[in-house]
Amino acid sequence: MTGVRVPSGTPPAAGPPAQQGPGPEPETPRETAASPRPPLGAWGWARWAWRQLTSMRTALVLLFLLAVASVPGSVLPQQGIDPQAVQQYYAAHPSLAPLLARLSLFNVFAAPWFAAIYLLLFASLAGCVIPRTFRLAGSARQQPPRAPANLSRLPLTARYETALAPDQALAAAAAVLSGKRFRLRTGDGWVAAEKGYLREAGNLLFHLALLGVLVAVCVGGMFGYKANRLLVVGDSFANTATDLDAFHPGRAVSAADLQPFTITLDRFEASYVSSGALRGQPSRFDALIRYSPQPGAPMRGYQLRVNHPLAVDGVRVFLIGHGYAPVFRVTDGTGRVVFDGPVPFIAVEQAGLTSEGVIKVPDAHPQQLGFAGVFLPTAVDVNGKLGSAFPAPLNPAVSLVSYAGNLGMNSGPAQSVYQLDTTGLRQLPISPRPLAPGQSMKLPDGDGTLTFTGYRQWISLAITYDPGTLPVLIAGMTALAGLLLSFFVRRRRMFVRAGQGAGAHTVVDVGGLARSDAAGGFETEFTSLAGEISSACQGSEPAVGAPGAAPGPGPDSAVPAVDDPTGEE
Amino acid sequence: MSRPPRCPRRHPRHAVIGIRLTRARRGAAAAAAILALTACGGGAIAQSTPASNGQSFVSGTGGTTVFGSRNPPHAPPVSGTTLTGAKLSLARLHGHVVVMNFWGSWCTPCRAEAPALAALARSFGHAGVAFMGVDIRDTTTSAEAFQRDFKITYPSLNDPGGLIALDFRSTVPPAGIPTTLVISRTGRITARVIGEVSYTGLRDLISTTLAQPS
Repeated sequence: MTGVRVPSGTPPAAGPPAQQGPGPEPETPRETAASPRPPLGAWGWARWAWRQLTSMRTALVLLFLLAVASVPGSVLPQQGIDPQAVQQYYAAHPSLAPLLARLSLFNVFAAPWFAAIYLLLFASLAGCVIPRTFRLAGSARQQPPRAPANLSRLPLTARYETALAPDQALAAAAAVLSGKRFRLRTGDGWVAAEKGYLREAGNLLFHLALLGVLVAVCVGGMFGYKANRLLVVGDSFANTATDLDAFHPGRAVSAADLQPFTITLDRFEASYVSSGALRGQPSRFDALIRYSPQPGAPMRGYQLRVNHPLAVDGVRVFLIGHGYAPVFRVTDGTGRVVFDGPVPFIAVEQAGLTSEGVIKVPDAHPQQLGFAGVFLPTAVDVNGKLGSAFPAPLNPAVSLVSYAGNLGMNSGPAQSVYQLDTTGLRQLPISPRPLAPGQSMKLPDGDGTLTFTGYRQWISLAITYDPGTLPVLIAGMTALAGLLLSFFVRRRRMFVRAGQGAGAHTVVDVGGLARSDAAGGFETEFTSLAGEISSACQGSEPAVGAPGAAPGPGPDSAVPAVDDPTGEE
Repeated sequence: MSRPPRCPRRHPRHAVIGIRLTRARRGAAAAAAILALTACGGGAIAQSTPASNGQSFVSGTGGTTVFGSRNPPHAPPVSGTTLTGAKLSLARLHGHVVVMNFWGSWCTPCRAEAPALAALARSFGHAGVAFMGVDIRDTTTSAEAFQRDFKITYPSLNDPGGLIALDFRSTVPPAGIPTTLVISRTGRITARVIGEVSYTGLRDLISTTLAQPS
């Protein structure tokens, strides 16, 4: 606004109104300072701040900041993903960790400063795109401008004479242009026409779709959720909070919103390359599951594979991992069976799928029992060191360290099922001799017996629900379509003026202007349009001789426009 | 329909709304708006729903929700087989105040609250209060050892596939383990405790429900 204002005390510039001549420009700052303009008030500051925020530069800076701000999220352990790692970090850096926690660096994506950046970026984009959208909408509805007084200054021009009266010549020209779907505006002695408004429509579409992407991503984040579940062959689970291993809901998702499907894992088969350089590499994973979209509905079979997720009720269930769950039976010191079931072990290396896990027997008497150890699918003894040579269960074995005492499970915070808290435990003096399926080991002092009865396999599933994916896709495609439209459609104008020539003839001037010269080809279109206009004017009066071609200062392309009709006759 | 004054009526509305109210109270409206929008980042974890923390099960975050007297949700007609193989259905307990506890022998807070539940089951045993458990993600061997260990005499439905919890999805879904529900004589859920129950807390909830006109 301030730039347009013309200082009142500069008479030389008064000629063309609202146009700043080169003269007064350098004086403007001084004039502004001297004029009794009110100081920038709160409203002014707000406007200034808003303009700064919605500038392209600010949006880019914020985008960069967002990228930088998410770096600690991948460098430092995050509370929402791996709280045990956070605790380990606390133990390792006792003085630094509380400081980092104060800065929310262990929970970056929920940190206030992260939210601030995100919100500012959102506001910046919205503030940029929304007003632009209105401008473009206005531009798409715009009338063609008035024809300039001197058409010969335009880049493309043609001139011819006709026996028609100026009004008739203009009417004929208008008919030709409107037949070509130009938008018309007529005035005294001129016709202005414009075409290519689709370019603005495309631009508009692109901006609106961009907003759509933002909104859809937001909606997806609010109403979507992610969950994980480890499932042992033969077991089943329901998609409900108590039956999931991890549950990361969006802000608008509650436990009641989960789609009520159930999944049973009937069989899992993993195939591995058995020879050659890729020996041990997995070649195929097949999980045969049965699922039911809701309780009571019939179960349906499905073959779940990597990158071949199950789609149920809008939720996608991915197969993301697998492993072994050795089955143990533990008899305590009183002779009772106090544990009998599979225990998922987690792979610590991929070449042989050596897996680690713990067994907790909190209801053993006289003491609670705990075991930590490894499962070896293909156990081999290399120089006294135990290892697994192949991921398939060719020679399964477990090797366990035994503990007795207090597992710390009867009070205190929730424990990981994959870790043994050994603070209250005493290691039992028994050698971790590997056990083959069916073999047992007797614990000293009559504490009981553990039997490795066999093994089952497990798969891990990622459950994702993102209602924003389809809208994001649609909005993205729309944005692309809009962008293509705005790239390939040219906005171009045609002007026709008709006036009394020297003799009885009417002189018709045609001018053309392409508003974006990126895409060529307007010359050809102009030539053919000028030719059609010329022939339309003469078609009504063929008796008149060939009109004198008078190409203006523009290119020669106008010449054939006048020659064509004569050639045809 | 007047409520006894002893009831710890903290969240008089439906569960989720009640918890959201406390959050809104904690911050200004603007702060709440920011909180709501941070979900757009996709990484935020809602505090109103149970936190998942890599311990391989979703544990309760602690919190008692008392449902208002106007329209407390009906408990679904769940039924199943107990750990000992007997049939058990909630419908058969109609006329009793029912305390329903979702638990697992492997779950630390479940073990921590087990003595309180066992004691309350004994002291309310003859007062028209029935206790029942729902054993989740467990083996019968471990579950029976747990019950022996904590001298729990009331029956538990065996629910390895999570189907009982699923039945509660449209009313008061158990949002973590453990979850304890108190159900009135007319089959309406009067309170939900997510996380470990305390002896006095649950005792008061049972007494309040017992005092309600049937």
